[in-house]
Amino acid sequence: MYRRILFSISILIATSLSLSAEIIQQQEIYKARDKVLPALVHIQPVIKNYNTGELEKQAVIGSGVIFHKDGYVVTNYHVAGKAERIICTLNDKELVPAEYIGGDPLTDVAVIKLQLDGYHGDINIAEFGDSDSLQVGQFVLAMGSPLSLSRSVSAGVISTRDRFFGDNVRLPSGERTGIYNLWIQTDAAINPGNSGGPLVDLNGRVIGINSRATMFANNLGFAIPVNIVKEVTSAILDHGGVIRSWIGVHCQALQEMEQFFKTGRDKGVLVSSIDHGSPAEKSFLKAGDVILEVDGKPVSARFLEELPAFYKTIAEYEPGSEISLKVLRGDQEYTFKVITNQLGDLQGEDFEVSKWDFTVKAITGQMKIDNNLEDTVGVFVAGVKRNGAADTGGMRRGDVIKKINNIEPINLIDFIAAYDNIDVDLNEKILLTVDRNGSTRFILLKLNQTAKENSDE
Amino acid sequence: MSKIISYVLTALFLIAGVGNLTAQDFDFSKLENEVEEYSVIIDMKIEVSFGIHTTDQTEQYLGTIVTSDGIVIFDGTSLSSDGGLSTMTGFTVKTTPVHIEIRTLDGKTYDGEYIGVDRFTSIGFLKIISDEEKFRPVVFKPDQEYKVGDWLCLYMLLPEFISPPLAADIGMVSALVKSPEEFILTVGFNQLQKTSVLFNSNLEPVGVLGTMMDPTTASTDAGGLLESFGQFGIPLLGVISAETLTELIADPPQKGEVDRGWLGITLQALTKDIAEFWGLDVPGGIIINDIVKNSPADKSGLVIGDIIFEVNGQKIEVDKEEKLPVFQRMISEMGPGASIELAVVRRNDTKIDTLSLLATLKEAPIAAVDSPEYENESLEFKVRNMVFADYMITNLDPEEFEGVVVSKLEMGGLANIGGLRIGDIIQRIGDQDIGSIEDAETAMTDLETTNPEEIIFFIWRNNQTLFVNVKTE
Repeated sequence: MYRRILFSISILIATSLSLSAEIIQQQEIYKARDKVLPALVHIQPVIKNYNTGELEKQAVIGSGVIFHKDGYVVTNYHVAGKAERIICTLNDKELVPAEYIGGDPLTDVAVIKLQLDGYHGDINIAEFGDSDSLQVGQFVLAMGSPLSLSRSVSAGVISTRDRFFGDNVRLPSGERTGIYNLWIQTDAAINPGNSGGPLVDLNGRVIGINSRATMFANNLGFAIPVNIVKEVTSAILDHGGVIRSWIGVHCQALQEMEQFFKTGRDKGVLVSSIDHGSPAEKSFLKAGDVILEVDGKPVSARFLEELPAFYKTIAEYEPGSEISLKVLRGDQEYTFKVITNQLGDLQGEDFEVSKWDFTVKAITGQMKIDNNLEDTVGVFVAGVKRNGAADTGGMRRGDVIKKINNIEPINLIDFIAAYDNIDVDLNEKILLTVDRNGSTRFILLKLNQTAKENSDE
Repeated sequence: MSKIISYVLTALFLIAGVGNLTAQDFDFSKLENEVEEYSVIIDMKIEVSFGIHTTDQTEQYLGTIVTSDGIVIFDGTSLSSDGGLSTMTGFTVKTTPVHIEIRTLDGKTYDGEYIGVDRFTSIGFLKIISDEEKFRPVVFKPDQEYKVGDWLCLYMLLPEFISPPLAADIGMVSALVKSPEEFILTVGFNQLQKTSVLFNSNLEPVGVLGTMMDPTTASTDAGGLLESFGQFGIPLLGVISAETLTELIADPPQKGEVDRGWLGITLQALTKDIAEFWGLDVPGGIIINDIVKNSPADKSGLVIGDIIFEVNGQKIEVDKEEKLPVFQRMISEMGPGASIELAVVRRNDTKIDTLSLLATLKEAPIAAVDSPEYENESLEFKVRNMVFADYMITNLDPEEFEGVVVSKLEMGGLANIGGLRIGDIIQRIGDQDIGSIEDAETAMTDLETTNPEEIIFFIWRNNQTLFVNVKTE
């Protein structure tokens, strides 16, 4: 009898406890909503795409959040990075134009600034939280414009705090991304259009910027931790972008290989690959070296998830710094001095060669490594227009243009000058000499009547 | 609609009518007895390997004995699909006949030994295994002249469950093709009859049925070596001549043996537009895009940008990219050791020179599918030596870079689970540098005696190096 009473009481307590928890939760969600929703921005940029061999403008949809009283909005680089004009809709449904301030493809963060001259409402800003103190299972809200449905809130929990996708993830525009940060995984529904929107904790603080979702899966969304966002946005506001050091090493988790490399547990970072012509190569660092210390500070990456922090340690040096790396090679410890370079642009400036039906990019040092090119001389063919003059002549994406008739352009500026100087009326045929996988190829452009007519306009 | 029906009716009438008319010209009863003497039925089990996936298939072919010691020809199309390395590092398709049984039409059964397939005609060669017997071969009649309208006949193999196994068919010479290659085109035959012996109206064997090759669908490996031609969407059938056959039979193509001539160039067609732009008055030619170090082309003095417009006095009428395979085939079939004279145009900013250069063709570099392999049974993987095409596809320098290529992985095997992939180039196993399959074998054998828990492979993949940890159990 007693036992039965006890039992029923315990059920009652449990029920009332969960009820009150629910009530608290609901109130907290309202509070969090009210703190961030007014700062939510629906972003409609027109982005420039050069991949098809001509400049194509595409209207896309993204999200963002105002973080500064002057109207600065943080969003994704893949939303606003290649934008030509940006129209934003604020939470009061007013339309406000914005300009692109700067971005960082490697973390997929960009900043735009609202042009508030004609706007008479109040600017609300959202507060950044601390992504290092997050808990798995913690309630979060995602806010944004999924499939363009603006001012949408979804809820979920933090599924994982330290997701890493390796160093070969690329943005739609081709740049590598996600090397210097881990991702917060959440089951709060994130759809295309949520990109750039805030992930919010129940204190109403932004803890991440929603960036990616897994298609054809249920509730697998990924956000950039806000602590990274804070660093990147202030770098963008201070000097237009993030300046990083680069030494050209690729690393690998040591797990299960400690014995082979004769290192102890949680000791060292394994160098797996070294870029050609990089500072690391010049300093005689080799694949198979285990970096034990960077300037006297121990480093380790037993697990994959520890790699971004190591890459970031290197990146945070001022370019041109001399770093001392204590390295284990076989049984011996050595110390190497590496002078860092500045990590240059992942991709060069785009240019539409409209009269000849293709697009090119300036060749950056990183593009040279990425595409296995011999040097950075010439321009890189980014796209070839179907059935255009270049396509008919046999040009392919990835060709490097070394010569226009007898002119040898060193870079994009040279190329554009040569292009502008060729009088299409006098030169109906132009011979381009390109490099394709180390072989020379000749491409004859026959400029047809339509091309000439266009140029006469 | 009615128009279509009338077309069909006309066509039916034509076929039936024509058949009736000309069938009388062939004495099939006499011919059949002769054909039965040198025809055999071949049952073959073929293993097809795609690196990580292997399947078996069985095929039945009509074979024809072509020498008294028992060499047999058959339609080797399904065996000529060997190849790969055109787009992906290390990816190859490999077909291997694992069991061959040969039956004569009077019921004797023999085992057969596979010899190889000619890459351009797809004619397969095998040998009857027999100690003493002498066989009655077909003897092809050379110098057959053709004109459109000539009639030809052949025997084909019926599906397995039909008896008797042979059926006769007739066809007609429909065109004498001159370009891109000379070919006697026929109408009335079908694809399943490929490599059947063709008889003229005097019942003389004049060749076998083959397909005209479509150079536009030719496949080339990453090293620029022509692997094979494709065939036209609707196959164009015709005569493979007695002359071609005699040459092939005298020296049948052996699987794995390098019989191809090689110049060592990367090439481009001299289109009419480029020829005109450069002020050259030639019907076509080969622009040299790149030259392999120490290759015959390099030694001949050719330089990048030169244009070959004649080989041994013969004009090279390659004015479209699609015609390049015709030139490649010509060089390939000249064979290693052939001396050739190249007429070349060399352009400067100011002038155009014409030169005559001499080259001696070398053996073409070995193809990836023919590269020797080492198999490790405990980790369940195979590696092969690196070939020329590997260096071309990866842009690695053969003088600086060595390794072996992972060519086969058993799904779920230890190497597969450990993270090795098809096409990985293994540079080191444990502490041992690896330059050949012999090195790989030594390193694996040495390591296995120490019973390690794991073996660390240092590999090259996608332009980067990487360590792969393979657990041994």
